[in-house]
Amino acid sequence: MSEEKKQTIKPVRENRTSLQLIINVVLIALVVLTYTYGWNVTQIDLSKLAAPSDGLKGLVGDLFHPDIVARDRQSYRAYRTYLIPCDAEHQRAGAVGEGISIMPDCGNIGDIVTIAGEGLRPNTSGTIAWRTQQGGTKILAQIETDDNGAFSFTTRVPEAPPGQTVGQHGSEVILRWEEGTLRMSETAKQVLAKMVETIFLALMATTMGVFLAVPISFLAARNVMATTRLGLTIYFLVRLFLNILRSVETLIWALIFIVWVGIGPFAGVLALTLHSVAALGKLYSEAVESINPGPVEAVQATGASRVQTVIYAILPQVMPPFLAFTIYRWDINVRMSTVIGLVGGGGIGFLLIQWINLIQYRQAATAVWAIVVVVATMDYFSAWIRKKVV
Amino acid sequence: MLLEIKNLTKTYDDGTQALKNVSFTLSEGEFVVLLGLSGSGKSTLLRCINRLVEPTSGTVLLNGQDVTAANGAELRRMRRDIGMVFQHFNLTRRSSVLRNTLSGRLGYNSTLRSALGIWSQADQQRAFQNLSRVGLLNKAYSRADELSGGQQQRVGIARALMQEPRLVLADEPVASLDPVLSHSILKYLEDLNHEGIAVLCSLHIPSLARRYATRVLALNDGNLMFNGLPEELDNERFKEIYGQDAESLED
Repeated sequence: MSEEKKQTIKPVRENRTSLQLIINVVLIALVVLTYTYGWNVTQIDLSKLAAPSDGLKGLVGDLFHPDIVARDRQSYRAYRTYLIPCDAEHQRAGAVGEGISIMPDCGNIGDIVTIAGEGLRPNTSGTIAWRTQQGGTKILAQIETDDNGAFSFTTRVPEAPPGQTVGQHGSEVILRWEEGTLRMSETAKQVLAKMVETIFLALMATTMGVFLAVPISFLAARNVMATTRLGLTIYFLVRLFLNILRSVETLIWALIFIVWVGIGPFAGVLALTLHSVAALGKLYSEAVESINPGPVEAVQATGASRVQTVIYAILPQVMPPFLAFTIYRWDINVRMSTVIGLVGGGGIGFLLIQWINLIQYRQAATAVWAIVVVVATMDYFSAWIRKKVV
Repeated sequence: MLLEIKNLTKTYDDGTQALKNVSFTLSEGEFVVLLGLSGSGKSTLLRCINRLVEPTSGTVLLNGQDVTAANGAELRRMRRDIGMVFQHFNLTRRSSVLRNTLSGRLGYNSTLRSALGIWSQADQQRAFQNLSRVGLLNKAYSRADELSGGQQQRVGIARALMQEPRLVLADEPVASLDPVLSHSILKYLEDLNHEGIAVLCSLHIPSLARRYATRVLALNDGNLMFNGLPEELDNERFKEIYGQDAESLED
């Protein structure tokens, strides 16, 4: 390329005025101010993340030890008497169980005794306790039987409260173990029952929402309604109604319905239904508005009524988007139904908030994991359906 | 007189004047072709006749009955007598050919029955006959969007025939089709014209107008410029309709 052709070109650019500069500076200052205030008003403190409270450790630990399975609990109790002093005129009574002995079986406070067991359940842990005459119990030690089911423990006869030193004392050995096959823990049973309730809560709300939203969406579609003045009025009213419904969150609807029908899943179903109607009504009506108008005018031209036109020209066109939006809503409702119980709307959230308030984090962790599994499964399931039918 | 248009004017909400005081008549047995450039008002005129588009002023009389004054059930009953065929076929693509054809009969059926998809034996027979007539009986249960363009337009004709119309409006019925298919479609229209159904068909190829029309109307910018026999459509007239720069493609 020759030299004279290499001239650079440049578009004309109006010079920035000082006013524009000031406006820019003010805008930047406003943005900085906004975010500074936001940072403060929401009390953001990143150092708290670095120095967690003691509760976190337990919480995280429990999160990975959810209470899911358990075995039947079994125990074995044995009791042997010990007389103080040896020459006391006292009838020994209340010996229970086999396989343990106290050597010697009488003496005084502070004497050395050996409590031994044999022929008990092997490799089983338990406790040795000392009982005074009045029945006061003091745990002496944790023990564990050996492979032959034997143990031996030597101690001094413990002090007894005044007035209880003379008479029949004794030693109680309790072995505890778990037996049988693994079964669901009580927590898991509760979680399962509530999870079923949760899924059906989502199902009922989605179904009722769809049935209400389909007719409403046609009333909220401009291309269907704008043919007459009355239609247009209905269109605006329905739109307004949907916007109001949608602007109130599901949890707030749940609180309102709890006042109306009481705590429980029905309130949750109503709240989720209402929000589904609002959201689906809008999505559906947009699908109706974006249809190809050709078939509509073709069907209208045959002399079809408005309802016939909807069924023959619009419904077939909006089925795929309707289905997609319904599955999407189902996902949201499954998620929402897990938290609607936090405010008393039924479902798993009810157990979760209860356990968290009682600091029963293992149980809470069970509920959290159940939510994770169910929501993930439902997501996968709906993705599969979407692929199949849409 | 089957159709009588008097001083028809249409001004759209955005101020576009699509039709300016258009008047003409159409008798039974006529095959009238409507010529004009894109945007000259052909589609608007056709749609004002069955009131898919609401005319601003003027009257449309069908068999002496005022279509423009009718409303509700009355209008729907009048629409039954006017079949319509569209440039883009306007079939419900996801529905079967049979269902699309039957939809031409909706004006004769109650909303409840048709909503449930219940069709009388007579209507089903009629649909099969009309599909057979356009050579698509074996496609009755195919989905409409599986058909080629020409086949879809034939379904459009079968749907219009379901109405047992006295007049068929055809809005550029061959503009989206291969030129070789144009004659096949127009011949179907010609056949039903010979059976006594009047046809008002918009086209933009004058040679097709000369071949099929018994009379030609021409619109230019919403004005009716020409109303006469196809033989009268000479070069001078042609330039009036299509502008001075236009040259006839085919002659």
